Amino acid sequence: MLNIIVCIKQVPMVSELPWDSKTGTLRREVAPGMLDPASRRALEAALRIKAGQPARISAVAMGPPMAEEVLYEAKALGADTGILLTDRKMAGADTYLTSFILGELIRREFPDFDLILCGSQTSDSETGQVGPQLAEELGIPDIGYARRVTIVNSSVKVERHVDDYFEVLEMDLPGLVTVDLAAYQPRYAPLEGLQAAFESTDIRIINAKALGLDNTFNALKDSPTRIIEVFSPTARKENRVLKGAVKKIVDGLFADYGKVISGALGKDLKTYAHDGE
Amino acid sequence: MDFNPCTKHQLIRKSVREFAENEIKPHVSDLDREARFPWEIVEKMKPLNFFGLQTPREYGGADLDTISYAIVIEEISRVSAALGLCVTVHNSVGIYPILKFGTKTQKTTFVPDLAGGARIGAFCLTEANAGSDAGGVETHAVEVADGYVLNGTKIFVTNGGVCGTILVFAVSETEAKKGLASVFIVEKERPGFSVGEIEDLCGMRANPVSSLFFEDCKVPHENLLGRMGQGIKIGLSALDTGRIGIAAQALGIAQAAFEAAASYAKERQQFSRPISKFQTIQNYLADIATEIDASRLLLYRAAARKDSGQPFSAESSMAKLHCSATARKVTDLAVQIHGGYGYSKEYDVERYFRDAKVTQIYEGTSEVQKLVIARSILSQPS
Repeated sequence: MLNIIVCIKQVPMVSELPWDSKTGTLRREVAPGMLDPASRRALEAALRIKAGQPARISAVAMGPPMAEEVLYEAKALGADTGILLTDRKMAGADTYLTSFILGELIRREFPDFDLILCGSQTSDSETGQVGPQLAEELGIPDIGYARRVTIVNSSVKVERHVDDYFEVLEMDLPGLVTVDLAAYQPRYAPLEGLQAAFESTDIRIINAKALGLDNTFNALKDSPTRIIEVFSPTARKENRVLKGAVKKIVDGLFADYGKVISGALGKDLKTYAHDGE
Repeated sequence: MDFNPCTKHQLIRKSVREFAENEIKPHVSDLDREARFPWEIVEKMKPLNFFGLQTPREYGGADLDTISYAIVIEEISRVSAALGLCVTVHNSVGIYPILKFGTKTQKTTFVPDLAGGARIGAFCLTEANAGSDAGGVETHAVEVADGYVLNGTKIFVTNGGVCGTILVFAVSETEAKKGLASVFIVEKERPGFSVGEIEDLCGMRANPVSSLFFEDCKVPHENLLGRMGQGIKIGLSALDTGRIGIAAQALGIAQAAFEAAASYAKERQQFSRPISKFQTIQNYLADIATEIDASRLLLYRAAARKDSGQPFSAESSMAKLHCSATARKVTDLAVQIHGGYGYSKEYDVERYFRDAKVTQIYEGTSEVQKLVIARSILSQPS
């Protein structure tokens, strides 16, 4: 039986993310949560593997107590068990410490895992770091941005879109694959599954102590990453009218916007302009 | 007393909302305009257990509690009241009476096909001369050696045009004199059964409401639901449950209208500012939000009472009465807030306005709900 772990995350549902301007972190408590879209596709990849062969899917999430919801959702969708890593001491973990904590859990609870699936990047922070860092943490190989994941004997076959071409890779197990947002159309949770998820007792809560973390462990303090500033990008639009003789207009245009236009056209405009003379 | 929804109910709401927004919403306007039943959406709903909401798992259902049931209907109806109607009628008055009054054989014979969505359920009581007065039913059943022969015409049957398994109210000669009735399970393949033309209605146009004809339509003895003469009891019990569904449907329509009105009020500029800055509009929105909240609390209380095994007849009537009145009021104000655009088919509020009215009429008119509530009050010891 294939032992699959899917790392999932609860992310805020709103597109207008409420930031805490003082700490530079998300105010998760005020936004309704949802299962991160890439995580959902990682779970979908696991469910499709399980449809073809005996497999056990364990969903793992880290977050505040309310993040338990995404584990129920994972159960409703077809995961066999769920674990929530939650503790004030784990709050504020950057990607480095998150990978470390996940690694500790997997070493402790799933020593005989075959495949770890993660979303390629979560919709709230988009770093794309946790998956590859977790693979490093566990000393296993990994492949990122999978569009399709299948099991061939004792290895995993991954299809992914790289630049302008498709790539098919095979990797020995155990290994880790991050699944891209463009992979699969994830299924909807059946209502029977949702009801059954809440009747089962297969979701475990694990805190820092149960994970064997040192009493002095403090993720917010120990994280090497510091968020200096978080802000919403603002788009500005400006209309400018260039006046004068044609040569003056064209020269002005090239001087001020040459790089932008060249970039859009994929041509060096200066060369092009001289050719025309 | 905790008024916060539990994780399960939140997750069920999110899941159904996501499905409804993605799979139903893009087609709702066309379905209404074409008065077309969306079989293609039904196909997607079948594996998600929408057709066996409260049916036990052994018969292929989701085994949901009643609050979850109300949330599911509310969320479908928030996007498509016509499809919400199909699903609630199918689950409540279509399946529930078989689960409550049926024999083990009837449950195993009829329920799995209904719960899996292979057959759409319908419940037909109303006739040209019988509606609120169930005693006026003229469709009659005559017992013969190998079953019953039904003759009569039912009108305004929700899901009529697409039904596969139908619960039919009919009276035998002896019952007619005593004001009794019986319920028969009729499969659409029975000779003598036919479907009339689809009604051209004001709202709920994607639901094929139609007449059903029974002409020497014979069913075997095992298709009698409960006992002869038990029809009124079965009907009242089914309608108590059905009212929770219709209340949820009305609430879904009201919620949709509220969201549309609030969003429009913030966008629409008059006198150089959004109309939401005007106190009149704020008054409307405050009234709407308050009515919706009150409706939702009444509805969930009725559902919670049913789940805990307490009597819920008066509470479900109160919920149905108030939710349907709220739907009517809110959709009216939503059109008003939209002004001329609200009267145009280009905007969804026009459809909400048409869909809302019938929630005050079917599954017991508002006037009948008041009778049920009054009877409950007056039967209490003073």
